[in-house]
Amino acid sequence: MKTRNSLPAFAALLSATFLSTALVNAAELNIIIEEVPDYEIVKKLTDEYMAANPDVTVKFDAMPFDAMRDKILTSSLAPSATYDVIIIDNPWMEEFAKAGYLAPLDDYIAASDGYNFDDFVGAVSSIGVVDGKTYGVPYYNYALGLIVRQDIFDKEGLEIPTTIEAYMDTVKSLTTEDFFGAAMQPQKGYKIMEEWKNWLYANGGEVFDADGNIIINNEAAVKALNQYIETYNTAAPKNSLNWGFDEALRAMSSGTAATMLSYNWMLPALNAEGGMSGDLAGNFTLHEVPGGKAVLGTWSWGLPANAKDKEAAWDFVSWISSPEVAKRRAIMGGAPVRTSVLEDETVWAEGYGEAYYKALTGILDDAAPLTSGTNAEELIEIIGTELSAAVSNQKTPQEALDDAAAAVKRANR
Amino acid sequence: MQLKHRLVLPLALVLSAVMLYPVAFSFWISLHDYRLTRLDDVRWVGFENYKFIATDPGFLNAMGNTITFVIGAVTLELILGLGLAILLQRLVRFQNFIRSTLLAPMFITPIAVGLMFRFLLNSELGVISHYLGEIGITVDWFGPQLALFSIILIDVWQWTPFMVLMFLAGLESLPKSPFEAARIDGASAWLTFRCVTLPMLRPVITVAIIIRALDAFKVFEYVFAITRGGPGDATETIMYYIYQAGFRFFRMGEAAAAAFMLIAVILVLVIALVKATKSSTAGRNNV
Repeated sequence: MKTRNSLPAFAALLSATFLSTALVNAAELNIIIEEVPDYEIVKKLTDEYMAANPDVTVKFDAMPFDAMRDKILTSSLAPSATYDVIIIDNPWMEEFAKAGYLAPLDDYIAASDGYNFDDFVGAVSSIGVVDGKTYGVPYYNYALGLIVRQDIFDKEGLEIPTTIEAYMDTVKSLTTEDFFGAAMQPQKGYKIMEEWKNWLYANGGEVFDADGNIIINNEAAVKALNQYIETYNTAAPKNSLNWGFDEALRAMSSGTAATMLSYNWMLPALNAEGGMSGDLAGNFTLHEVPGGKAVLGTWSWGLPANAKDKEAAWDFVSWISSPEVAKRRAIMGGAPVRTSVLEDETVWAEGYGEAYYKALTGILDDAAPLTSGTNAEELIEIIGTELSAAVSNQKTPQEALDDAAAAVKRANR
Repeated sequence: MQLKHRLVLPLALVLSAVMLYPVAFSFWISLHDYRLTRLDDVRWVGFENYKFIATDPGFLNAMGNTITFVIGAVTLELILGLGLAILLQRLVRFQNFIRSTLLAPMFITPIAVGLMFRFLLNSELGVISHYLGEIGITVDWFGPQLALFSIILIDVWQWTPFMVLMFLAGLESLPKSPFEAARIDGASAWLTFRCVTLPMLRPVITVAIIIRALDAFKVFEYVFAITRGGPGDATETIMYYIYQAGFRFFRMGEAAAAAFMLIAVILVLVIALVKATKSSTAGRNNV
């Protein structure tokens, strides 16, 4: 009787021992991530990672862009991080790194055999480097490219414009009463700043000069804004001052616009059979932004400074961003950030074709972020507000840019 | 401590924890250069944040837009709500069905309402713009001239039912005898409404205006979903300004100062409204 009673107790003790051992070894990685096409690919690949590492559970907290910044902030301010891995948009990198929210990754990178950090496209990987330390490794790029309806260009016998002036002429010539040359995104704030800065680059302008002086209201900037307004007035849908990404994309996919300056990775989505473009799928092509230099956006993987298990987190990050997995991610439709992937003929064949990757290589070769600094997010909003005021005729371009320069100085006080 | 004080103590403690402490802490923040990304460098600045906000063209514009929005939206909701409530009160058949249908917009979350109207009023993709175009009317709903008015109309669509609900309850609670007396005296419908219904309904109207005005001061979702405060700063409201300062730029000191200045403006307006109502009621009673 005594023996029979002790058996269940022994079994329970044994189970508890195994369970506690398993809990000690098991790792759960919580990752905040934006809901974009690349996330779906990362999620699928992560299933393989978990299958190969059964003691690791990866949980994604996917959300729209607008919800991410304050979630990352609150996680970073907590004694113990909510997220073990975060993704960081390029305007946030310097701000978060200097606030002490991010762990430097240099030692992890150096200790990872075959990781080949130098293989990342320079313009993209440099975004994760702040004061000589690497705080982020590239996840995907969202550099802007020129997306066109190639069938319309072919039918009209039009060349792909390579200068901003040629682009303005082309889109104007394509505009009719119910069809528009350019689906623009002049919505106040980030969107208009992101779009207009391509005009600024085409005119050789910038937000700050090499010495850090604000030059947003110089001659080049005023000319760029005048050109942008002219393009809006002559080639964009009427009454589209509040248009952002969604509206412009719908105009392209529904066949009411011939071009848009947008994220390069929208091309596969527009061309997907049975996707948003319906019968128009396959007619869209990607090209370098007119003028050459493009606005560059990048999301980077980062480890919060207050994350508990950074080794486990880095193991996942180094795996998902490794050359091998990066290649497979690109073939599945992800936006490439490694040179080896962009030049890989297998990727060309099994992905979206040589032309797409070559166009993307050209875009990334000459691309730069919207702005930098610890308050980049605020500066983008300030300038974007004034640009919107100029496009909607509330201010002249010179007034708007003078006000933008004054407001930037005020914000940097 | 007396029993009555001890009985109140738990409530006082809870209120202190959930209201007084946060308000006091917010006030403390408003007196500091308090940035969430520089918590190791929080500095006392006294009323500098208040001075900065008071001279910030963005804040003054946002306050102006908000006051215009509150006056426009609440006035339209008051007029429409009162009219609909009077019509509904007289309705004999389908009253419950129509009441339930009218109340439906109130149950939709404002952010969804904003997204819905963003596309309904879209010049190229929107149903409303399409049918207006069919009859030759083109409206730039979110252009600099109309954007704030469009946001007001959206608020009116969503919150007029609240006014209807309040006024309907008020109308149904009114005594019948003054109306019968007015009818016997041969008063017209308009005279009855102006001299009997409206004065008796005044307390309900005051409460409804205060509740709606307080809520309208918080307008954020429509702006966030549709215009982001644009074009330019044509639709930037005070809540959007505070959201930007606090949660996008992490300047909590300035955001807190702006919030306290908003509270001050609301307090002044509410006190003025209540006083005006009281003096009007007192004046009528003296007559």
